[in-house]
Amino acid sequence: MNSQGGFSMAGGGAGGGGGSSATATSSWVSPTSVSSSGKRIQREMAGLNLDPPPDCSAGPKGDNLYHWISTFIGPPGTPYQGGIFFLDLIFPIDYPFNPPQVVFKTRIYHCNVDSAGNLRLDILKSKWSPALTITKVLLAIRSIFTHPDPYNPLVPAIAHLYLADKAKHDELAAEWTLRFAT
Amino acid sequence: MGKGKVINDAVKNFEVTGIDHYLLVDADFEEEFSDYFRCCVCLDLLYKPIVLTCGHVSCFWCVNKSMSGMRESNCPICRHPYNHFPTVCQMLHFLLFKLYPTVYMRREKQTLEEEKEMALFSPQFGYEACNSDQQHHHPRDQQHALDSGAFRNGEFCASTQQIEPVKFVSMIQAPTMSIPNEVCDENCTMIRADSVEENNLPEDKSNINCKQVSVSDVQCSTCKHLLFHPVVLNCGHVFCETCISPVNEMLTCQVCQSLHPRGSPKVCVYFDHFLQEHFPTEYAMRMEAVQAKQVHVKSQHPITCSTKAGEKSFQSSSATTRENLSWWADPHSKVHFGVGCDSCGVYPIVGDRYKCKDCVEQVGFDLCGDCYNTCSKRPGRFNQQHTSEHKFELVKPNVINRVFENESPAPILSGDAQDSNRNSSASAATHPDRAEDENETQTPR
Repeated sequence: MNSQGGFSMAGGGAGGGGGSSATATSSWVSPTSVSSSGKRIQREMAGLNLDPPPDCSAGPKGDNLYHWISTFIGPPGTPYQGGIFFLDLIFPIDYPFNPPQVVFKTRIYHCNVDSAGNLRLDILKSKWSPALTITKVLLAIRSIFTHPDPYNPLVPAIAHLYLADKAKHDELAAEWTLRFAT
Repeated sequence: MGKGKVINDAVKNFEVTGIDHYLLVDADFEEEFSDYFRCCVCLDLLYKPIVLTCGHVSCFWCVNKSMSGMRESNCPICRHPYNHFPTVCQMLHFLLFKLYPTVYMRREKQTLEEEKEMALFSPQFGYEACNSDQQHHHPRDQQHALDSGAFRNGEFCASTQQIEPVKFVSMIQAPTMSIPNEVCDENCTMIRADSVEENNLPEDKSNINCKQVSVSDVQCSTCKHLLFHPVVLNCGHVFCETCISPVNEMLTCQVCQSLHPRGSPKVCVYFDHFLQEHFPTEYAMRMEAVQAKQVHVKSQHPITCSTKAGEKSFQSSSATTRENLSWWADPHSKVHFGVGCDSCGVYPIVGDRYKCKDCVEQVGFDLCGDCYNTCSKRPGRFNQQHTSEHKFELVKPNVINRVFENESPAPILSGDAQDSNRNSSASAATHPDRAEDENETQTPR
């Protein structure tokens, strides 16, 4: 719903006026200019380079500011230890008013990440706020390595195993890490 | 402050990607600014700042774009719910312009370019207005300024070297007068001629404004003293927390007489910190005065203003959530998605919507039922050239509404839905309704 408004011109966001009259199309919904989102990403990049969060890095892929690659090192003490995980971060043109899209490019055995690499994280969907930054997103992703959320799973089977037999889950996760992430 | 400077340097040093050279070029010329005034959304200096009811500040466009045209909006920082798009806080706007003229002008230039691209404009205040405003106001107040001059010299200036009352007065009398180098040589060299020209700002004026922030720029409209625990109403006017008092549970601005929706606003903490740092002596004096007054009030009345206000805001936050849910759940409420009221700022408009037939701007000019009935004369939120001669027409909700009607979670909230039925049937009766809501929430406690 937001993105519908975000991309359309001021007149179109309200849904065309519903036939009541042609003049009823005015709306406060304003388009976001490319330069303002680009500026914000640049500022964030500068901040990130100064003060990077632990165990991860992120930066633009080539010269496209809106397409980033991020690298996570599996945190010690987890079954993902020793693995290196690559993620794509795609920023919408109306960033930061809509969240970046995050996809795991490295396969991972995790109840919140499906086989296509899609990630379920509330702050990247309904709980997104324009005051959240890439650094905060990275920290949130890092936290799912250490604390999977089996109660909001994307892969229920893994979540079940995590709750029923954590040792078995960890064994499988470590095996996947060894196979795909090293 | 230090971190901001480092980030600016880092931006400056980063390889130019071709999108905005001017940002990187401009960083060379910029003075650093306090992190208190960094917008949480664009991460740049606040431009045309808007203070939300929760006390958090963002730029005009950052707030506008953060808001949802479909339902209630949430503060980007604390997720506090709100329905009204507040008016720009002009006091902060002119304060920031005086504090950081170079960065603020850069922000203005960039924003204006983006606005031209969008063909949608933020309210224009103009610094000529700022300066002429001073010239209009101060001759009247000049005697007062001179009277208090000795006081200022004795009390104020010892702690705040940046205020120079003698120069301040002389600048008002002769705007073109040259300013001694020690006041602004640092900033004068940083101001580029082209950026100044672009903004129709005479160079000497911008130089005059360098760091010339005095107590008169940040005083409460009611008590005429330095702001202490500033709160900003929906209309953008600033008061001390202790200077506002709700009448019949509704808060009315003492400057523009407009109603403040949804309970008492919270203190704008960053602004308060700035005042404390910038005017330490006066701030301490104000704090003492307010505390003494509170003790005095307490001896007369059992409840002090501030605690009452605190209680009220606490109650109203729960009441307002209910209020919001009620219109969302009510299948008959007429929600005008993506359309806001240009007077009170409610976005989206719920209930009657009146659209101006004569405004030519693409964004249009709309009023909600309440504002139409009270014959509001406020200008548009997006610099529309609306006049009182323009005619209005009643507009039906747009088609999206009918789609949502079927999906609304009415059954769970049937009690609230009834509330809002009453709301929509008697649009003028919102204030008693709200008072009732608050009473309802009050009783269980």
